[in-house]
Amino acid sequence: MKRGLAAATVILMVVSLAACGDGSSSSSSETTTVPPPVNNTQPVIVDAGPTVNGQPIGDADVLFTTITICVPGTTTCQTIDHMAVDTGSTGVRILASQLTLTLTDSTNASGQPIGNCIQYADNTYQWGPVVKADVKMAGEVASALPIQVVAPTNFPAAPADCTAGGTPAQTVSDLGANGILGVGVFRQDCGPACASAISPPAIYFGCPSTGCSVTSVSVAAQLQNPVWTFPQDNNGFLIVLPQVAASGAVSLSGSMIFGIGTQSDNSLNGAQAQATDDFGNFTTTFNGVKYSSSFIDSGSNGLFFLDSATSGLTDCSPRSAEVGFYCPASTTNFTAINSGPNPNAAATTVSSNIAFSIANAATLFNSPNTAFNNLGGSNAGAFDWGLPFFIGRTVFIGIENQSSPAGLGPFWAY
Amino acid sequence: MLKRLLILLSALFAAALSGFAALGGDEGSVVSDQVKFQASRRVVPEHGYRVHEISRDDGLLIREYVSFEGKVFGVSWKGPTLPDLSQLLGSSFAEFQNSLPPKPSRRKAAVVHNTDLVVESTGHTRAFQGRAYLNSMLPDGVTQEVVQ
Repeated sequence: MKRGLAAATVILMVVSLAACGDGSSSSSSETTTVPPPVNNTQPVIVDAGPTVNGQPIGDADVLFTTITICVPGTTTCQTIDHMAVDTGSTGVRILASQLTLTLTDSTNASGQPIGNCIQYADNTYQWGPVVKADVKMAGEVASALPIQVVAPTNFPAAPADCTAGGTPAQTVSDLGANGILGVGVFRQDCGPACASAISPPAIYFGCPSTGCSVTSVSVAAQLQNPVWTFPQDNNGFLIVLPQVAASGAVSLSGSMIFGIGTQSDNSLNGAQAQATDDFGNFTTTFNGVKYSSSFIDSGSNGLFFLDSATSGLTDCSPRSAEVGFYCPASTTNFTAINSGPNPNAAATTVSSNIAFSIANAATLFNSPNTAFNNLGGSNAGAFDWGLPFFIGRTVFIGIENQSSPAGLGPFWAY
Repeated sequence: MLKRLLILLSALFAAALSGFAALGGDEGSVVSDQVKFQASRRVVPEHGYRVHEISRDDGLLIREYVSFEGKVFGVSWKGPTLPDLSQLLGSSFAEFQNSLPPKPSRRKAAVVHNTDLVVESTGHTRAFQGRAYLNSMLPDGVTQEVVQ
């Protein structure tokens, strides 16, 4: 069956090439040679999150999905719900407390178990060994994918290079999720910098029983964005979430659809692509000021931008549950411009006007709703377009060095 | 009891290693930051203050803003990982931590805008950036915008 599919694909390629030659008679041939598509639609939901001691966590604007992980090449599997979908990081990370499978530790070139550290800008971190698992979403499989198990008891403690000054987010209540599905624009969490023998950043550690120290790890052995390792539909994906009322919604169901222009359900439909820079950033212009380190991050649970002085928005009270968010007396409307090079024509800049609103976070949090399109807060020197950006939009994410009809990733299109 | 003594001793040892705290500390504390972060350093004179740029081979760049009186009034960072903020914020670190929201209501960005202490941390995997400053220590004629 697999060989039959491969043969069909070859025929399709030949037919396509022939079609390029005469440009007249491709349609009838294509309909008979397209391989049966894989189910590429993964359900996602914004809801109150996993339950701890009978109570849901109740965070606002966190996007979740359920994944299946298996011992590689076997049918010994486990489903894990409430994995936070995070386009601001790369790699699958599962809290050890939620894992029942036994997965084998990966080792570095010296045969030492590999520890991985991820830090977030909120100064939290996760630490734990790299293991391999098959990761399944919809009909797609990432085989023998390096993933992180967060904070197992049978692994050396986190080294100071990972933890110093940081706060662990390694329990369900601290993380507000059972794990992280990191599906950013990069293929790996670190990439070539961590494969270098010279001064790799403190992300990968060799962990003999005597303790962990920074090590270099080949790109292939690093944590991966599972999407680019799929056999098909692997050039990126799109997230589609319906619009909500200004008061929000109790929950919000949508889809993560794998591939860009690979099936009938993931064509760009006129979405304009903007390439990111080498760091995954682009420029947001607001009131004529350019913020060149801006980014889109489904794992940020608000639109984080400017401060009260430059936005005119009142900060929420210190020591309240909504500190860090904006609490304006009335909902305020803004427009900003996102721009970046066209991945298909780097000399051309593509710009999009983004209209958004910011409501009073204290009012929003004082409702049973969890999905808001108008939740925001202050930030440092960049626009962090968090989950509200995705609500009411179809957002495509092109993975680095993967080709698509919109061009080569990394890019965003919407 | 022995364990508590050991913790106390190691805390004292750590304090001795780090010297003066960075933010709000004396210019000498910049050198201890350089040692701590295993980095190279250069000094850039500006109008009304000096900037010590500490750059590490892995791409982390730390800037420490020092008044002519020799006080660190601001720090900033940019790089693939976060710097140790307990080292960089020094005696202001506890205030920073105590001012963060109850976990985990706000995700992926830390901002503290207190009367004196301001800390702003943002970014994502592979690209973090942030800054911190003390309003009370900004030199005359120097605004917080210089801390970038």
